[in-house]
Amino acid sequence: MAIKVLMPKVGLTMVEGKIVEWRKKEGDRVEKGEVLFVFETEKTTFEVEAPESGVLRQIMVQVDEIAPVGGVVGFIAEREEAVEIPLARPEAAPRKEGVPPADYRSPAGEKIRATPLARKIAKERGLDLRGLSGAGRSGRIRSVDIENLLGTPTVPPPPAQVSGEREKGKLVKFTGMRRIIAQKMLASKIETAQIYMSHSIEADRILEVRERLLPVIEKMTGVRLTITDILMKITAKAISHHPVINTRWTPEGILWLENIHMGLAMALPEGLIVPVIWDIGEKNLSEIARTRAELVARGKKGKLTPDDMKGSTFTFSTLGMYGIEEFCPIINQPESAVLGVGAILDKPVVKNKEVVIRPMMKVTLSYDHRVIDGAKAAEFMKTLKDLMEDPLLILALTGEPEWLHRV
Amino acid sequence: MAAPRLIIIGGGVAGYPAALRAIRLGAEVTLIEKKNLGGVCLNQGCIPTKVFLHTAAIFWEMKRASLFGVDIPKGEVNFPVLLDRKKKVINRLRAGVETLLKSKKVKVVQGTASFVESQKVMIQETGEVLGGDKMIIATGSVPSRISIPGGGKISLLTSDDLLEIKSLPPSLVLIGGGYIGVEFSQFFNRLGTQVAIVEVLDQIIPTEDPEIAKGLRKILEKEGIQIFTGSRVEKILSEGEEKKVFLATPSGPREVMAREVALTVGRQPFLDGLGWGKIGLKTEKGRIVVNERMETNIPDVYAAGDVTGGVMLAHVAMAEGERAASDALGIVPSPSPCAIPRCLYTSPEVACVGLTEEQAKAKGEIQVSRFPFRAVGKASLMEETEGMIKIVAGKKYGEILGVHILGPRATDLISEASLAIELEATVEDLAHTIHPHPTLSEGLGEAAMLLRGGAIHLP
Repeated sequence: MAIKVLMPKVGLTMVEGKIVEWRKKEGDRVEKGEVLFVFETEKTTFEVEAPESGVLRQIMVQVDEIAPVGGVVGFIAEREEAVEIPLARPEAAPRKEGVPPADYRSPAGEKIRATPLARKIAKERGLDLRGLSGAGRSGRIRSVDIENLLGTPTVPPPPAQVSGEREKGKLVKFTGMRRIIAQKMLASKIETAQIYMSHSIEADRILEVRERLLPVIEKMTGVRLTITDILMKITAKAISHHPVINTRWTPEGILWLENIHMGLAMALPEGLIVPVIWDIGEKNLSEIARTRAELVARGKKGKLTPDDMKGSTFTFSTLGMYGIEEFCPIINQPESAVLGVGAILDKPVVKNKEVVIRPMMKVTLSYDHRVIDGAKAAEFMKTLKDLMEDPLLILALTGEPEWLHRV
Repeated sequence: MAAPRLIIIGGGVAGYPAALRAIRLGAEVTLIEKKNLGGVCLNQGCIPTKVFLHTAAIFWEMKRASLFGVDIPKGEVNFPVLLDRKKKVINRLRAGVETLLKSKKVKVVQGTASFVESQKVMIQETGEVLGGDKMIIATGSVPSRISIPGGGKISLLTSDDLLEIKSLPPSLVLIGGGYIGVEFSQFFNRLGTQVAIVEVLDQIIPTEDPEIAKGLRKILEKEGIQIFTGSRVEKILSEGEEKKVFLATPSGPREVMAREVALTVGRQPFLDGLGWGKIGLKTEKGRIVVNERMETNIPDVYAAGDVTGGVMLAHVAMAEGERAASDALGIVPSPSPCAIPRCLYTSPEVACVGLTEEQAKAKGEIQVSRFPFRAVGKASLMEETEGMIKIVAGKKYGEILGVHILGPRATDLISEASLAIELEATVEDLAHTIHPHPTLSEGLGEAAMLLRGGAIHLP
């Protein structure tokens, strides 16, 4: 009896996953619970454990191929038995990323018409020929069709070891995550009208708040309150008074969002992820601290699901822990703005015509000028500065959702 | 809707297949031929030359019949009978074409067509004007001539003349060592004429693989043909019945005496009397310029076959004619074939398809194998062990890029290679294909095996 190994669904929105690694080879023994393969979605990577013990008889979806949720990616057999592999693969055929599943002329399971050369090239370049049709007679796929589809490797791909004495190094192939980050970052720079403004903020009261609340919250939740937690809370409050910041650009118009879901930019060894604290405007500091701590912990273990990283309306990014004073983050599309927070450093400042030393912090807003005008952004920054320099003011502010009046 | 009217000028191997194809596609077809249906191929090319060569081959086999245990008293070639047979074969095949055209209701008009305007031609002999919705020009080619000092005063024969020659000349110089010259050289030589070939380039059959050409040269020279490559005819003088041909060879000047001198320097597109200038037809170096669909620069006017220059081979003309007809009648022709086999009907034969080693090298990394016919059982029992099969394949994928055969029945063997290239097969495919034993085709399989770990019948 063969056991199907399926592409799991992690998160509500997942429809397909790309295999990035098979930890076992065909013919290898695998124990139930052992990690069998790793796949990635747009957001992150996951390890999948073997559903049963046995021998991995056949890998149906190779590395870099995509399988739909619930699709069979391989078979485990109890022993070295023969496995009857269904001719037509399940649901949708796995396909190579970036290759359109175009031209589905032949029903699944039909013989592929391709020349031997085309088959060899396709195999080498990881292209699934099923469902494709070529320019040869009766739609036979020829080598030229594959070259048209994937581009001609006129010269062999550059070797990992770059030639020339001055260019020593090694080529590290893109992970899906790196590709996604690259796409999103570039798209943001190209598609939005990003502009930046900064404020210097006296941070002594923030530090006081942290000092005061840390033991309280730690006692309540077991989580140590961070400056970031406090700043996120204050930022959410400021946003609620300047709803233009909490907007989303859509092709039809500007979408004004009621709830604030704050993305927290977080660095992993593999790259950037942005887990989301939902409804941060409605959460108190201890809830924020707990949620943040939980997301960070799961992120570090690679256990975040795509749903954990979806739906943010504003992003908060800090590099203070690295001592960075000031930076301009890239807008996390389709949001309209992102806040970059620097380190709190003692600085000489002029107070009452005297130079004094104060703990100072720079905050920078990157915003999309298509949506947010400079003056509106400046108003938000003013509120943000006022609240950060005197967090008690939050208590004085009315809870009225002003955004309704402004739209 | 009325059937589209198609006019085809020229009833050769481009014209008549175009006509038949067009009829199948529902057109009303008029085919204009000034002389004989079947064109060069049937009347002055493929067919008559192969009739000649066939006789030469039989004569040659007869001479060595004792080798096979058959004793034949000294035989002789009856030249008039050969000429007569040639005529009979041509007539038989021509009648076949006529019948085909008649049964398909192609209107055949005898005469010389000349364009009046782009969709109208006048038959010069009768003054009749014919109009069509689409036109296909398939007027073929004639033997090329080059001018040679002294050559003006002496009658230099062409390939057409050689086919009509009334008696066997005692000696013959062929100027031009391409396919045409080489075939004639062996024919005349085997029948007893003293033959010399003069080729200006540095190998005979200059378009083909040098190893193949070299192998063939050796065989021809062994049979007694004199071959001068890299040599130019400086002048020709008459000396009584004889002609004195002055050569500039790489090893200095040479003189060759011969009864007849023939120009076998290739063929050139034939456009005389067509009135192509009148309709502004674009030509280039005497050939009609066409695109991949065989369209000329004038809308609805197509051209196919030798008149478009390029590779002047009957099977190419045939394919082009059919393409032109299909396109003219709105059918998208299937992709044009990748591989055009090139055949030389000497014995042993030469047949090549695809890229030569040199051409393939220019395009990427390759691997090459050579399998000699002496290791093919069938060739051995036929006592035809000279020559080899050479495969040129891509290095990375092993796709067959070119196959070059010098050897017995090469022209029959080449089609497997053509199919391999057409289908983008690899050396594995050829190596794993079962070739019946004992046949000459085993050589191709073995040549492929050489690139896949080694042949069976080679040490």
